[in-house]
Amino acid sequence: MIGAVVLRFRKRLYAIVTLAVACSLLTVGLTNWRDSGDGEGSHARGYLQQIPVVPACYIALAVGVILLGWYWLRLAGVITSIAEIIADDKTSDLCPRKTSSALATWSKADELHRAIAERFDELTTRTGEYARQVKDLQLQIQLSQKRTQNTEAIIYSIRDAVIVVDEFDKLLMANEAAGRLFNFDFRRSQHKHLNELIGADKSEFADFLSRSKQSKGQAKRQEIEFTDGDERTTFDCIVSCVYDHNRKVCGAVAVLHDITREKEISQMKNDFVGHVSHELKTPLASITAYSEMLVDGEAGDEEMRKEFYSVIQNQAKRLNRLIEDILNTSRIESGLIKINKEPINLAILIEEQLQMIRSYAEEKNIKVTGQKPIVFDQVNVDRDMISQVIVNLLSNAVKYTPSGGTVRIETEVDEVESLVRVSVADTGVGIPEDEIDHVFDKFYRVGVNKKQAKGTGLGLNLVKQIVEKLHGGRVFVESQVGVGSTFGFELPLATGQTAAMA
Amino acid sequence: MADKTVLVVDDEIHIIHVVAIKLRNNGYEVLSADNGAEALEVALREKPDIIVTDYQMPVMTGLELVEKLRQNEETKDIPVIMLTARSFAIEQEQQDALQISGCLSKPFSPRELLGNIEDILYQKELVGDN
Repeated sequence: MIGAVVLRFRKRLYAIVTLAVACSLLTVGLTNWRDSGDGEGSHARGYLQQIPVVPACYIALAVGVILLGWYWLRLAGVITSIAEIIADDKTSDLCPRKTSSALATWSKADELHRAIAERFDELTTRTGEYARQVKDLQLQIQLSQKRTQNTEAIIYSIRDAVIVVDEFDKLLMANEAAGRLFNFDFRRSQHKHLNELIGADKSEFADFLSRSKQSKGQAKRQEIEFTDGDERTTFDCIVSCVYDHNRKVCGAVAVLHDITREKEISQMKNDFVGHVSHELKTPLASITAYSEMLVDGEAGDEEMRKEFYSVIQNQAKRLNRLIEDILNTSRIESGLIKINKEPINLAILIEEQLQMIRSYAEEKNIKVTGQKPIVFDQVNVDRDMISQVIVNLLSNAVKYTPSGGTVRIETEVDEVESLVRVSVADTGVGIPEDEIDHVFDKFYRVGVNKKQAKGTGLGLNLVKQIVEKLHGGRVFVESQVGVGSTFGFELPLATGQTAAMA
Repeated sequence: MADKTVLVVDDEIHIIHVVAIKLRNNGYEVLSADNGAEALEVALREKPDIIVTDYQMPVMTGLELVEKLRQNEETKDIPVIMLTARSFAIEQEQQDALQISGCLSKPFSPRELLGNIEDILYQKELVGDN
């Protein structure tokens, strides 16, 4: 503020000093000219000689000096007053009233006061505005940083690999999944060319990304398979171009979604359809052929006719079992199945299923035995469902046991755990250790068994679903290749109350 | 067509049984095997006049069996009828390449199968006479 005041009065100061100096120079000049002896202009010189120039000039000079001194004193007074105001009130209390009072001693105090006050108010307003703008900008910067952090956090947390490149295929951003997939550390790889970061074994992706960027238009999609030793992974790769404000491609975003599992499931489903169609057609083929033979009178005698009827009946039951397996799997998975639990004697249920499976076992020359004496404790189960579990385990055992082998079903009661345990042991081909954890998986078929016998891969999965999901039990399996397998399940014993309801 | 030998290959014993009865009733001698590997041994040993085989079998499939038969000088000309639960499984080109005489889709008619066997053996005899 003092600077502003000084500036305002400096012009007057310069004017006074210039006037004083000009008067002095004029006095000296006129004196010299008057005192010279030149004839020309002697009239004017004579006129000047009559005037007391020197005293007049000295008087003018003295007046200038006095004026200068007076002005300096005034100016110093004003500056001192303003300095006192500022010293007393700092900034916020520098009100027009006080300024006016301080400057009252000066003749143009009002004018100065108004000028300073207006200027001060203007500066105060502007400073306030600037402060608010700075605060707004700081908030916007913080907000922007937060948004960037959020966006980055979202991209980093995506399970799919995400890679962002510029128009020259240099890396701008990548998440951890991308780093793991392509084996690079994003923090050290930014602005490196994609070809430097992606190995030759995954170059198909880099090529696809470049192609997609060049072709512009809509997002491009391609399935890309990566091979790492024996392991194969398939990715659904989507590349979208990034455009600048001129609609010019300035980069690309690639998202790689691992669809290996989906592909496996799809393959398993295709295999399942193939297996199911074969499994359905096989008993149907027997029924059709035997029926035709009976119609054509090819069964020579009554005994052969009975045999044909029996085959047709058994194959029809087999067909029904298969259809039940498929339907029940679907019903359980969709949660639509209705079960009717009742206290049942498991031993009787097992004996019924043994009778059913014996004819099938005899065809393969396999001996099926049951335990005697058998358990008579009751379980609270759905009769049809548990019958299906037992028959699936028995028919599975017969299916994978070579001719001349044995299948044995046993039951035992665990009083401590209050459960009944049923196990079906065979002398079949056995299951390799690395595959045993998957035998209850849907559509899963043990590698060695694919060559051994046909199947849908549904039977054991259904056993697990019925026992564990619908009855709160547990399935188990033990196996040794070349020796045989034991499949079984545990079910809780019916409590006294539920058993009494039977 | 008496005295002709037919090798029936299927892992379903009921199918072998019913086809065998149909063929025996019509004067054929019937041999059987329940997988491709066993059938190959029987074919090499017995040199049947015609083979009726299932497509999908454990150990060795029907298609693998035919490939092995065609590679052996003694069995390469034996006509083969394929029974399959998947009628679309064998392309015509593949049938021609492996000289598969006919395909019957399951469920099949024993009557129709007998007719096919008779036709093929008749054609074979005609070619042999010429």
